[in-house]
Amino acid sequence: MTDKQLDAGDLDLAVLRELSALRSFAPSRGFSGRVMNRVRLPQPAAVALFRRAGAWVMQPRRAVTLATAYAASVVIALRLAVPWLEAHASALQLGVAWIGAQLGAAFNTAAMGLADWAVRSGAAALVRSAASSGAALPALAAAAIGYAAAGVCFYTLLKSPRRNDALARS
Amino acid sequence: MATAKDLRTLADREVVALAKAGKEAAYRELLYRYERPVFSLIYRMVRDRALAEDLSQETFVKVLNALDSYRPEFKFSSWIFKIANNAAIDQLRKREVNTLSLDGAPGARTAEEVEATALQAADRGESPLAELEARELGTEIEQAIGKLRPEYRTAILLRHVEGRAYEEIAEVMDLPLGTVKTYIHRARLELRDYLAHLRT
Repeated sequence: MTDKQLDAGDLDLAVLRELSALRSFAPSRGFSGRVMNRVRLPQPAAVALFRRAGAWVMQPRRAVTLATAYAASVVIALRLAVPWLEAHASALQLGVAWIGAQLGAAFNTAAMGLADWAVRSGAAALVRSAASSGAALPALAAAAIGYAAAGVCFYTLLKSPRRNDALARS
Repeated sequence: MATAKDLRTLADREVVALAKAGKEAAYRELLYRYERPVFSLIYRMVRDRALAEDLSQETFVKVLNALDSYRPEFKFSSWIFKIANNAAIDQLRKREVNTLSLDGAPGARTAEEVEATALQAADRGESPLAELEARELGTEIEQAIGKLRPEYRTAILLRHVEGRAYEEIAEVMDLPLGTVKTYIHRARLELRDYLAHLRT
């Protein structure tokens, strides 16, 4: 104290009062971020299992063993598969051609169905008239701009810090 | 789904339960609640800002990564203060940080080090004279706290600065309740002695 002196009782009270009023100190900016970077958040069981398996596989000795086993299995598979493929080449070609024809026919049917729907429902006529009339152009442009603006807003929203992040940065 | 605002209203135990369920916001809430009390306690113990930050960071990382081992029958605050106090005491024993000076730790050689290790007194928006007196008394008290034995310092800081109950302090310090009361009583007596020059 400067020129104000305290008697014993006052001093005790003042000390207790000042103790309870001592300021609390704050760590530097970004403290909580630095802590959170080092905190392992609980993960779903499947992810944890996958990561553990990955870590197990990536042990150097295990990785070499697994890579060797993989290479050996590929060689063995090829050694067995190539003669078999040669022996059944004509049947396989026939099978592949048949599957290709079936897929082509299915695609053709779907495309024809879509075209038929577009003609019957009037969607084709609508698109044709919109392209030819000038009035539809501003509406289409407005819709496109609105769509782009919504995309930008959504991106900004995702990028903005959440409440706790903002507190952590303050 | 609890928002950050909802989390503010929850008890520590409930926030810990949410954190255990993997909710990141709950982790941040625990950090938000305890970063100042934990940092203040450690800073007043070791009197070195950078060191206090490191120890606080270690404390939080240790606590938040071990939430699964937290037993809800104990108070979360007791647990985190216990880890923080142990970290500070270990550091004091290891480096024998001298805590006497408000003007920076004795190891501080450059102006930056002195500034980093100096504690600032309170500013509570009082009238200029009252503020000056309070600041001077606050400074004297900070100095006097620095002269106390670490055990007394922990006890008096938890009791009178953090406002913790005797039972909680006993849990934090792993001491019988009677010992904690004795420590606080002796700490007060020592503080009174250190501040005797302020008496008429």
